[in-house]
Amino acid sequence: MKIELKKFGNLLTSRQDGREALAAIEPLLLNMVDNETLELDFDGVITFTPSWADEFVTNLVNRFGMRVHFVNDENLSVKVTLKLLQDLKKNPSPN
Amino acid sequence: MELFNKDTFAQATDWIGGSAREPEARFYCPTSSEFKGRLSKLQSDLERLPDLIDYYPLIVAIVGEIGNNSFDHNLGNWPDISGIFFSYDTNKRQVALADRGQGILRTLKRVRPDVKNDEDALRIAFTEVVSGRSPGSRGNGLKFVLGVVLSKTIEINFFSGAAMVSVSNNNKNLKIDKFLL
Repeated sequence: MKIELKKFGNLLTSRQDGREALAAIEPLLLNMVDNETLELDFDGVITFTPSWADEFVTNLVNRFGMRVHFVNDENLSVKVTLKLLQDLKKNPSPN
Repeated sequence: MELFNKDTFAQATDWIGGSAREPEARFYCPTSSEFKGRLSKLQSDLERLPDLIDYYPLIVAIVGEIGNNSFDHNLGNWPDISGIFFSYDTNKRQVALADRGQGILRTLKRVRPDVKNDEDALRIAFTEVVSGRSPGSRGNGLKFVLGVVLSKTIEINFFSGAAMVSVSNNNKNLKIDKFLL
């Protein structure tokens, strides 16, 4: 399944917006079959922030693991944000 | 890009240091929705600058993280005037953000009672993944800001309570000092 993040806008910022985006795709996620991959397409996204990403991407990765793939992720803010999330996953907060 | 200039800083500090009143309408974002709208305008304006074309999304992202932090950490607990001051000057390559919120020390003390003062709170906020809204992996915003500032030609002066953080690509250090308005 492919999710085009530009449907949520080209400026993806704030935790609240990330939560709302996740809620919006929940019906699609429920219809995913076993082993189906989830492709997150960043084409058209200009600004991507850790707050939005943490509510959306982190939740999807926690739920679907290696089935989540990123495409068109060359944008600098996308790269830096995804790397931060990966680093946090490897070194989680002590809290 | 220097994130505060004296004129813009003077306007922002006048507001946070003065009596409880709303800032000028052109600088005032009473809600996160209003802030997002103006942030989108910043994105469009920065996109037109040739020298920033490669990394303007990172600038918008760090402004977004700092601005949204004000709303996220003060929701329902604004001491007086809610919302934030947001101003920018593309000619001078400067952005100013300010709020009259609770301050980082107070929000962090909820989860880190050992935080001693404003300087300690700023150090933790910029270097550790911890949030006044823990649990969870929240608290990564200012760490992201620090990483971006250190990697690009950006300078930031960040104030909370009686302390300030200065970071720039030139000095590669997180400089934390006492500061009084």
